Amino acid sequence: METTDKSLIDAHRQGDKTAFEELLRRHGDSVLGYLMRMSGNREQAEDLFQETFKRVHEKAHTFRGTGFKSWLFTIATRVAVDGLRRRRRLQVVSLNQKLDCANGSGQESGAVVVVDNSCEPSQEAIRAEQTQQVRQAVELLPAKQRATLVLAYYQQLSYPEVAEVLGCSIGTVKTQMYRALRTLAQRLPDISGGEK
Amino acid sequence: MKPHLTERELIEYEFKLASDIQAEKAAEHLAECRQCREYLEQLKRKFAALDLLREEIKVSDDLISQVVEQTPRPVQPRVVSFRKPAWIGAAAAVLVVALLLVARLGEDVMEERKFAKGPSEPAEKLRSELTAETQIVSAEDLAKDAATRTTFALARKEKEAGKYLERAAIGEAAADVVPEKPPFAPASAIELVVLPRRDKVQLTIYNSADLTLVRERRNLTLKKGWNWLQFMWANTLIDPTSLSLELLENTDKIEIQQLVFPARLRELGRWLIRSETSGQVPFEITYFTSGLSWRAFYMGTLSQDEKTMRLQGYVRVGNNSGEDYEKAQTRLVVGKVHILDQIAELAKRQYPYGRPEVRVDFDKDLKVGEELDRSAWYGAAFGQVGQIVDELRRKEIIKEGLSEYFLYTIEGTETIADKWGKRLLSFEAEDIKVESLYKYDQERWGSETIRFVKFANDEEHNLGDTPIPNGEVKIYGQADNEGHLSYVGGTSVKYIPVDEEVELNLGPARLAKAEPKLMDFKTDNFMFDRRGNIAGWDEIRTWKIEITNTRTLPIEIEITRGFGTAYWTLQFDDQEVSYEKHDATHARFRVNLEPRSKRTFGYTVTTYHGVREETLAEKN
Ligand SMILES: [Zn+2]
Repeated sequence: METTDKSLIDAHRQGDKTAFEELLRRHGDSVLGYLMRMSGNREQAEDLFQETFKRVHEKAHTFRGTGFKSWLFTIATRVAVDGLRRRRRLQVVSLNQKLDCANGSGQESGAVVVVDNSCEPSQEAIRAEQTQQVRQAVELLPAKQRATLVLAYYQQLSYPEVAEVLGCSIGTVKTQMYRALRTLAQRLPDISGGEK
Repeated sequence: MKPHLTERELIEYEFKLASDIQAEKAAEHLAECRQCREYLEQLKRKFAALDLLREEIKVSDDLISQVVEQTPRPVQPRVVSFRKPAWIGAAAAVLVVALLLVARLGEDVMEERKFAKGPSEPAEKLRSELTAETQIVSAEDLAKDAATRTTFALARKEKEAGKYLERAAIGEAAADVVPEKPPFAPASAIELVVLPRRDKVQLTIYNSADLTLVRERRNLTLKKGWNWLQFMWANTLIDPTSLSLELLENTDKIEIQQLVFPARLRELGRWLIRSETSGQVPFEITYFTSGLSWRAFYMGTLSQDEKTMRLQGYVRVGNNSGEDYEKAQTRLVVGKVHILDQIAELAKRQYPYGRPEVRVDFDKDLKVGEELDRSAWYGAAFGQVGQIVDELRRKEIIKEGLSEYFLYTIEGTETIADKWGKRLLSFEAEDIKVESLYKYDQERWGSETIRFVKFANDEEHNLGDTPIPNGEVKIYGQADNEGHLSYVGGTSVKYIPVDEEVELNLGPARLAKAEPKLMDFKTDNFMFDRRGNIAGWDEIRTWKIEITNTRTLPIEIEITRGFGTAYWTLQFDDQEVSYEKHDATHARFRVNLEPRSKRTFGYTVTTYHGVREETLAEKN
C-alpha cells in the first residue's frame, strides 16, 4: 500500500517529521532538476530547493488534496521566479560563466575555454561544449517559455498540468512551448554530425 | 499532393501541440511525403540536443537533511482535518499516517523546544532589528569608520590591511558557542574585517551601457562568531546596490546574513556574517561599476600591389572608474548586445542609500537593442593610434561565441589602473584580399575622387572568426621599398558581422582624377500647346570625361553621372568602358587605367522635358 502525497502532507501537518522527509525523497530529484534547469546553476538551485520546501511546509494547509505535483511545481515556480528575479541582473550579465557548475567539471567558473583548432578536441570536450550550448540556449529563453519547456519536456508534466502550475490556459502553454521550440531550433547546437 | 507541412506544423505535430484534427492531417501527409518525413527527422535530430540536459539530478542526503532540519514544526499540530470530504477517499492512507503519528508523538514533544531556539528565527524580525539599529549609529562609530576608511579603503594599502586583519583575528578569544543573536553593529573597529587584497579579479566590460561587471575573489579571515565585513566605495563609480557576496567554501559553517548600508555612514556597506569556524575562507564579491570602457581600432597595411592587406585590430581599455584593477582578467562584450534596459538604468543611477533591493522585471524578455555606442570614451584617446609602435606586450584576445554577441577575453591578466588607458592587440590577419576602387560622383563628393577599399569578414579573406567591433580604421600603404608607410586614409567602421562585406571610404584620392567637360549643348524638338506656349523639349548634352591616373599602379574607377530626371537616353560607344544604368536618374561607368596613364571617353545624353517625357514613355 503506497502512501499518497496527500496523506504525507497531512501527516507532516500533524507533526510527523518522517512524512516530510518522505515527500522530499519522493519529489526532490524532480524539483531539483526543474530548479537547476531554470537557474542553470546547482548552487542556486539548491538554495531555491530549500526555499521551495520551506514554502511547501508553510503552505501545506493550502493543498487541496489532488494534483500534488502541480501544486508542488507551482510553489517551485514561484520560488524560482522570485529567486531568479533577484539574481537576474547578475545572471544575465554573467553570460555563460556559471554554466559549468552543474556538471561539476572541475573547471573554474568564469574561465574561458580556448579551443585550439590545431588539434582535434576530444569527444568529451565537444560534448561538454554542446551541453553548455544547450544550457545556454534554454537559459536565454524568456522565463515563461523556459518554465513551460522544462516542465513539459524535462519534468514530463502534461500540458494541462503545466497550465495549472503556471496559472494559464492550455492554449497559452502550447503557444509558449511552440515559441520556445522555435527559438531553440535556431540556437541548439548540431549534435548529429561529427564533422564539426 | 497537398502543400508540404511547415516547420511550425512539424514542431506542433512532434511535440503534440496540435489539435487532434491537425495531428491527424499531419500524420496523413507524413505517411505519403518523404520530403516532410526527412524534414521532421532533421528537426528531431536538432531537438535531440535537448537531451544533453537530461542528466540525472539527485538530491543529496545532505540537502534533504538540511531541509528537514530547517523546517520548523507546524505551529498548531492539533489541527486535524480528517473531516474534510476530499479526504475520505484516502482512508487507508490516513490510517497509516495516524499510526506514524502515535509512534512519533513522544520524541516530537521533546524536540520542539530546541527548534524554537534554532537558527531559523524569522529573518524578517532580525532584519528590522538590524536596520533600526544601524540608523542610530553613534558619533563614536562614525569617527571610527572614518579612520578605517582612510586606512583600508578597498584594501589599497595591503600591508596595513594585513596587520589589521591579524588584530581582527586575535581580537576576540573565540567563544565556543556562537551567540544566536547577531550584534547590532560592530562594537569597535576591531570587530570589522576590512576587505583584504584581491586574489583574482575579472572584468566584463559592456560598452553599450557604460557598465562593467566585476568579480573579485578574496580570502577573508573570519573569526568564529559574528563578523562584520566592510566594503567601501568612496570616490569610485561602484554601484553598491549591485553588491553580492558569495561564499566559496565552508558553506555549511558560514552564513552571510545581511548587507547593511548604515544610514549615516556614507559609501560603505557591511555584511554580517555568522561563522561557526575561524580561519581563511575564499569569497567572491560581484558588483557593477561604471567608468570602464573599451574601444576597438584597426590598422590596415596595404601590400605593394595593393591587392592584399594586413589588418591589425587593437583594443584600448580605459579606466575612469576610480578603482585600480590589478592583474585583471578582462573580458569585452562586442556586437549587437542583448541588454536589459534596466542594467543601463542602473549604470546611470546614483547611490541609493538604504536597502539594496533591486528589482528587475523578470518577465520582460531580453531586448535586442540597437547597436548602441554611447561610450564616453569614444575618440578620447584616438590621437595616439597613428604611431605604429607595439610598446605593449602583445596579447591575443580570445574570442568566444555567444549567441547574439561576442565576448572577447584578453589572454592572461592586465593591470588596468584608474585614469589610465591601455592598448592591446586583439587580432592580426595577413593577406586579406582587397578590392580597391576609386569613385567619382559629383552629387556626393563634388569634384574629388574618393578611394574605397573593399573586403569581407569571411574565411576567404582570412577573417570571419568573429564579428569585428566598430571602431576607427587607418589604412597605410607602402611608401617605398624599405617598408616605410604612408598614410592613405582613415574612416570608422560599423560592427561587421561574420560573412559581411565592408567598404572603407578612405577619403579623397589625389592621384586619381576624373574631369567631366561639357562639349556640346543643344535643345531640340520643341512642342507647343494650343496657345503657343512651350509644352515640351529635349536637351542634348555631349560630355567628355578625362581620367588621369598618376599612380604607379593600375586603378579602376567608377564614375556616376546624374541627369536630374528619369527621362533620358544615352548614346555611348566605347568598348573599353563598361556602362550601366544605375538607377532611374543615374548612369554608371567603370574604367580601368594603366599606371601613369590618361584616357577620355564621351557620351551624349538626351533628356526629355515637359510633354516630351511622354514620347520617351511611349518609346519604352
Ligand atoms: Zn510534404
